[in-house]
Amino acid sequence: MSSKMHSSSSIAQARRTVQQLRIEASIERIKVSKASSDLMRYCGEHAKNDPLLMGIPASENPFKEKKPCTVL
Amino acid sequence: MRSPLIPEMATQEVQLNETLAHLKTESETLKSKLEEERAKLHDVELHQVAEKVEGLGQFVMKTRRTLKGHGNKVLCMDWCKDKRRIVSSSQDGKVIVWDAFTTNKEHAVTMPCTWVMACAYAPSGCAVACGGLDNKCSVYPLSLDKNENLAAKKKSVAMHTNYLSACSFTNSDMQILTSSGDGTCALWDVESGQLLQSFHGHAADVLCLDLAPSETGNTFVSGGCDKKANVWDMRSGQCIQSFETHESDINSVRYYPSGDAFASGSDDATCRLYDLRADREVAIYSKESIIFGVSSVDFSLSGRLLFGGYNDYTINVWDVLKGTRVSILFGHENRVSTLRVSPDGTAFCTGSWDHTLRIWA
Repeated sequence: MSSKMHSSSSIAQARRTVQQLRIEASIERIKVSKASSDLMRYCGEHAKNDPLLMGIPASENPFKEKKPCTVL
Repeated sequence: MRSPLIPEMATQEVQLNETLAHLKTESETLKSKLEEERAKLHDVELHQVAEKVEGLGQFVMKTRRTLKGHGNKVLCMDWCKDKRRIVSSSQDGKVIVWDAFTTNKEHAVTMPCTWVMACAYAPSGCAVACGGLDNKCSVYPLSLDKNENLAAKKKSVAMHTNYLSACSFTNSDMQILTSSGDGTCALWDVESGQLLQSFHGHAADVLCLDLAPSETGNTFVSGGCDKKANVWDMRSGQCIQSFETHESDINSVRYYPSGDAFASGSDDATCRLYDLRADREVAIYSKESIIFGVSSVDFSLSGRLLFGGYNDYTINVWDVLKGTRVSILFGHENRVSTLRVSPDGTAFCTGSWDHTLRIWA
């Protein structure tokens, strides 16, 4: 491969990289404090409906065994 | 570099090299600008904001079911939307559909290849997709007739030039998204097998992918051996965001339930959380004592807990907001290779190189 062809494909590659970086640099961003409070709010709003977080009684969870009660 | 004999060629070569150098400079400038812009908005850490949140108590999670039947390492699993059926795939080429409540096997297929690294349940529950070293993704409709030979109805959908690492149906049975050792991801029409869109940008094998929750629109995230996690626009094929903070292969990526963030698990023994609107990593889940790679991650329903399956046979449970570990679970006798929370969040399932799957609750 001639050095000219080699340079051409490197240029194509470099152009793609620059193009990609331009797209990424131009997106709108928010502050971490705002992003964090939104994540926290989502967790808070959905916590009570999260079985693995809240723990649900064995009788409601199909994977937990129902323990039989024996009266001694 | 040979010196050219013709003067015009010499001029052209110099011009090309100048263009290349110019582009490289612009590339460096843009990278610095990107870092600068991201840093400007880094006003606080997630765990600092989360200090005011109540801490989590002790968790008691145990193995509630053990699914035995694979003859070799379990590599992948997926839940059916009915919250009780599971499909799993193994190194020995077997794909099994289980009823997780009863532990009964409902279907079994033997693939023509070993190392079936990817499997997925169709949203309708009527089919499963799988693939691996055959470089393909095939769809098997599930028959109600237990005696029917599933392999007969097999449909080849995706064709890559290297192994299939992950697959997922989109929100219908009609399209499948795949990732491959060939460095690309691709979107396919199931009926025709046609390639609808391909996604180029990873510099090495792509190991995992996850689709954004349907409310958030047409994007997905992928992770690869190039240590990058890329977010893609499914319609245009464009990479819209890229994150490179892991120090090794990214084995697993999973969206936070709101779609505003995603978690990753890596061979560098850490899990990380990336917020898409802040466009940066916002948390690292790690401990000095944890030195083995993470193979698979998933969130609990509210996103407060992150479960990670590790190569040291354990499952670590993390408080996503505070960044601390809340529990460590033992039970598997070899690497945990795959982990998914059930669709209604009542349990999670792990698959392991110890040939079994476990349901935890």
